[in-house]
Amino acid sequence: MAEAQTNETVPVTVLTGYLGAGKTTLLNRILSENHGRKYAVVINEFGELGVDNDLVVDTDEEVFEMNNGCVCCTVRGDLIRILGGLLRRRGRFDGIIIETTGLANPAPVAQTFFVDEDVKAKTRLDAIVTVVDAKHLPQRLADSHEAADQIAFADVIVLNKTDLVTPDELAAVEARIREINRFATIHRAERGGVPIAELLDRGAFDLDRVLAARPDFLEDDSHEHNEDVSSMSFEVERPLDPEKFNAWISGLLATKGQDLLRTKGILAYANEDRRFAFQAVHMIADGGFIGPWKDGDPRRSRIVFIGRDLNRPQLRRGFESCQAT
Amino acid sequence: MSGATAAPGYALERRGTTRDLGDYVVGAGFAAGTPAFALADGSLHLATGEAWPRVEAHDGGLLAFASAGRFFVTGGEDGRLARVTPEGEATELARLGRGWVEHVATHADDRGRVVVAAGMGKAVHVVDGEGRALKTLEHPSSVGGVCFDARGKRIAVAHYNGASLWFVAAKTDSPRRLEWKGSHIGIALSPDGDCVVTAMQENALHGWRLSEDAHMRMSGYPSKTRSMSFTRNGKWLATSGAESVVLWPFFGGGPTGKAPTELAGGDNVLCTQVAAHTQTDMVAAGFSDGMVVLADIGSSRILPVAPPGRRPVSALAWSADGARLVFGTEDGFAAVVDFGRRD
Repeated sequence: MAEAQTNETVPVTVLTGYLGAGKTTLLNRILSENHGRKYAVVINEFGELGVDNDLVVDTDEEVFEMNNGCVCCTVRGDLIRILGGLLRRRGRFDGIIIETTGLANPAPVAQTFFVDEDVKAKTRLDAIVTVVDAKHLPQRLADSHEAADQIAFADVIVLNKTDLVTPDELAAVEARIREINRFATIHRAERGGVPIAELLDRGAFDLDRVLAARPDFLEDDSHEHNEDVSSMSFEVERPLDPEKFNAWISGLLATKGQDLLRTKGILAYANEDRRFAFQAVHMIADGGFIGPWKDGDPRRSRIVFIGRDLNRPQLRRGFESCQAT
Repeated sequence: MSGATAAPGYALERRGTTRDLGDYVVGAGFAAGTPAFALADGSLHLATGEAWPRVEAHDGGLLAFASAGRFFVTGGEDGRLARVTPEGEATELARLGRGWVEHVATHADDRGRVVVAAGMGKAVHVVDGEGRALKTLEHPSSVGGVCFDARGKRIAVAHYNGASLWFVAAKTDSPRRLEWKGSHIGIALSPDGDCVVTAMQENALHGWRLSEDAHMRMSGYPSKTRSMSFTRNGKWLATSGAESVVLWPFFGGGPTGKAPTELAGGDNVLCTQVAAHTQTDMVAAGFSDGMVVLADIGSSRILPVAPPGRRPVSALAWSADGARLVFGTEDGFAAVVDFGRRD
């Protein structure tokens, strides 16, 4: 997570989305357009690519549980192996794209980048891009958990097939996405027509950017205490006490980790000139100092939660109690 | 190493032949006395003459390498097994399908008959030295490592939640399943064939003593163990993954309840490759700073072979007679060190 690492690590983009949402069309566009960059692509074995690329690797998604006493710590073993093989010859490509199957839960893919030491040392998760179908999303959300999870995990959402819905339907579906994840960037598209630069090398996992894109704070509390995925953010003025924060967040992730899909924060620690970046997928957390606070910028700590059954007052009180006294 | 003096005499300087091959060294070894280096770019380099001949073995990346006594076998991203002779002739041994051939193990008997086991996805394909398919062994999940026992009778395969032990010559194929939850990413068999040891995702080793149906756990590593090597007599298992060469005692009731012996530590540099000597209780070890040493287990004496200052050592092997050592690094530095030569 340190800034110095950025130049040496290979950016990885995870492409998720339901079957039929337009993932393959988008992938084919990325691989065939002349953008001067070369990508290695890891596709699931059911995928069909229409483009010749000598760096396409077929895989069988193999999820296993880590033996670290944490029930939701699942990772993709196939990815660890494939990335290890690809990275022996990193000069061959500029980045890696991983496509997941339509029904995949994005957590194991994301957690692989936190948990495996070799993957962590050599790659960086650039962004999770989720392709959704404007026409069928409401139905998908109604009949599966995964559709909401894929939106919750996204840094970038391609709202595809907008030509198949009316302006009112489009507005409604976008509002629905915002209820789940108010922090992702949404691109409306027809046939996956999004400028490639908006999808790849986004540094979306550079939390700075994500959190700097300040969403509105006029949050609607009507979706609290239910099974739906929602997102919320909190901000505090006074610097944090690192010990208090660690104690609070560890306890929170240990007890609520199954419901917390993603947690991201930029923190101002007391007596520290650098920003501390924190992120977690379920119970698996990672953090490190990134560059210094800019002169004149307010040193406020912000944290974002995306998950199920979020208790706003409790989370707010918890975060506020981490301020140094 | 902490024991090295200001100007340690590295064996490489006096006894070594080196080249910069320019790509990640996946494996190194000897066939009929000829050293070779397999690179991730698909080529094999034979260390003979002044200009080491380059042989193209795979279209795309090379992922796995093994010596089969009289020739080399490689596996690649192109789904093929290739056979390369010490004279530099490359032929296709087998075409296994679409997918990566990530693991290759071989066994050559006294009469030169060769069996090759190649891991691709969930399957291990067994072929003979001419590429004839003998059998395909299916596993519940992807293969993490493959090895033969010393006599070539059995094949041990690491995968999720344990390992499988197969008889090469069995008419009906049903493996002995060794179970332990988790992802097993490498495997070794003791010379007497009684102990199976796997490396795990969680920076630990797991073992099974077959005759006693007993489990063994070996932990405490700061990183994954990528390289394991039993000493010739099976007394010690040398392993990478720590900031020293970690040797587990497989005698006197060990390794269970015994502390491992640690050699060549002290520099906070990870050991990345180990290779037990073929004749004596010595082990060669490569580190993540490019350093290579030879450690005598009995006396704990360390002979410096190659100085630090390079990329991690990614391949390391002894010749059958134990006179020569080959090693290679992640950025293509390749060396043959001749300990038998007088100078």
